Amino acid sequence: MSSRGDLAAVVETLRLAPSGGLIDADPADCALSLGVDGVAVSALMGEGASELLWATSGASTVLEDLQYTLGEGPGPDVANSCAAVLVPDLTKVPADRWPALLPQALRAGVEAVFCLPLHIGGACLGTLTLQCAAAGPLPERDLADAWIVANTLTSVLVRNAERWTATAEDGSDLYRAVVHQAAGMISVQAEVSLAEALLLLRAHAFRQGTPVVRAAEDVVARRVHFRNDGDEPGASGRRRDCTRP
Amino acid sequence: MTREERLLAAVIDAVDTLVDDFDLIDFLHTLCDRCTELLDVTAVGVMLADPGGRLQLIAASDEHTRLLELFALQHEEGPCVRCHADGTARLNIPLDSPVTAAEYPLFAAQARAAGFAVTHALPMRLREQVVGALNLFDAREQDIDAADARVAQALADVATIAILQHRTLAHANQERAQLRAALSSRIVIEQAKGILAERWDTGVDEAFAALRRYARAHRTGLSALAQRLIDGELDSDALRRA
Repeated sequence: MSSRGDLAAVVETLRLAPSGGLIDADPADCALSLGVDGVAVSALMGEGASELLWATSGASTVLEDLQYTLGEGPGPDVANSCAAVLVPDLTKVPADRWPALLPQALRAGVEAVFCLPLHIGGACLGTLTLQCAAAGPLPERDLADAWIVANTLTSVLVRNAERWTATAEDGSDLYRAVVHQAAGMISVQAEVSLAEALLLLRAHAFRQGTPVVRAAEDVVARRVHFRNDGDEPGASGRRRDCTRP
Repeated sequence: MTREERLLAAVIDAVDTLVDDFDLIDFLHTLCDRCTELLDVTAVGVMLADPGGRLQLIAASDEHTRLLELFALQHEEGPCVRCHADGTARLNIPLDSPVTAAEYPLFAAQARAAGFAVTHALPMRLREQVVGALNLFDAREQDIDAADARVAQALADVATIAILQHRTLAHANQERAQLRAALSSRIVIEQAKGILAERWDTGVDEAFAALRRYARAHRTGLSALAQRLIDGELDSDALRRA
């Protein structure tokens, strides 16, 4: 075999049809080939919603969860602008750019974030987010490779979409399956729409300072419920989440 | 026109404007450079079909006149023309063999004169349609193996998607809608599990099992069933009795 780098292997495995799940390739290999500590891919579902599809465990997953819970950060910015957001040093970002996210991202051990759009023309399909524990710019070569990976992922998303529709019935392979299950439960408990249920869950996670996935697990395990509090009959729209005694 | 034909038409329309698009051309040049390194070949070019169906060079790993002439020649003949015509990769073509000379007399002679020993052509595909070809040249007499061939095809796909990114917004929105629909078909199943689990005071696995049973008994898709439940068009008691 010729002297090809890791990037070739990553691009090659990304293209393979997933045997199960959404994307087969190992995100850790991808991170390694791009010289970063973690990668994450989220699909944009419209109206600020996103679906995490592929991520290294640890800080990258935490960062996606934080952005999902808080609704701000490089990912949401890229979703809006469809242009890359490169932040080589999170400690140097003005605090008011992402006031809720910045302290939590730094606490999660992320100091540099490079977020690229997965786009076709002006339509942004999703985001590829690279993160590093240490601040510093992404070398030009790695950034060029990141764009190659982003383009590959775009083609993977477009191509796999049809397959995903066909295999929807095989079970829960979404990272946030539990979040949607919890939204379903909350919609019944609080008698609200699924969209409102999701907002209630996100707000609860935000107040508790927990990742939204953790909060959803609590709901599905019935440690937390969102029924109307018996002490407040008829409280108009002010439904409160409360922990069971 | 079918959807694929419309997409193809959009890509072909774009060819003329692509050469003015610095960002894209810059990306494709970078990609060609990386191709030469990753595949250990001498030169790489991205060829795209114009509205007349003739291949045009969009980007190359270097700008030597002899190489450019070699790409230009493939308006008429050469492995890229064949590759574009039938969508099949043509790998490890020896430029000094009589067979090659018989098949592509002008191209083979010029390629040898330019110092190349082997060439490869890989289709650039959009679904079933072929929009162009990725052309590799090697000065040494070395073949690429199956793994390298897969990488080369992957890089051809990257070039294709980069070009597709410059299609009209309408087409892009179609792709985005399809992706969202694919993911939504999964999301609604999870939501329905939660709804049923809460109504029945059971676990989500039990709720899923009931959904599945009902879907099978009524020969309906799970996603469609979940959507009906969410929309309130399906009685959860009926589901439970299934």
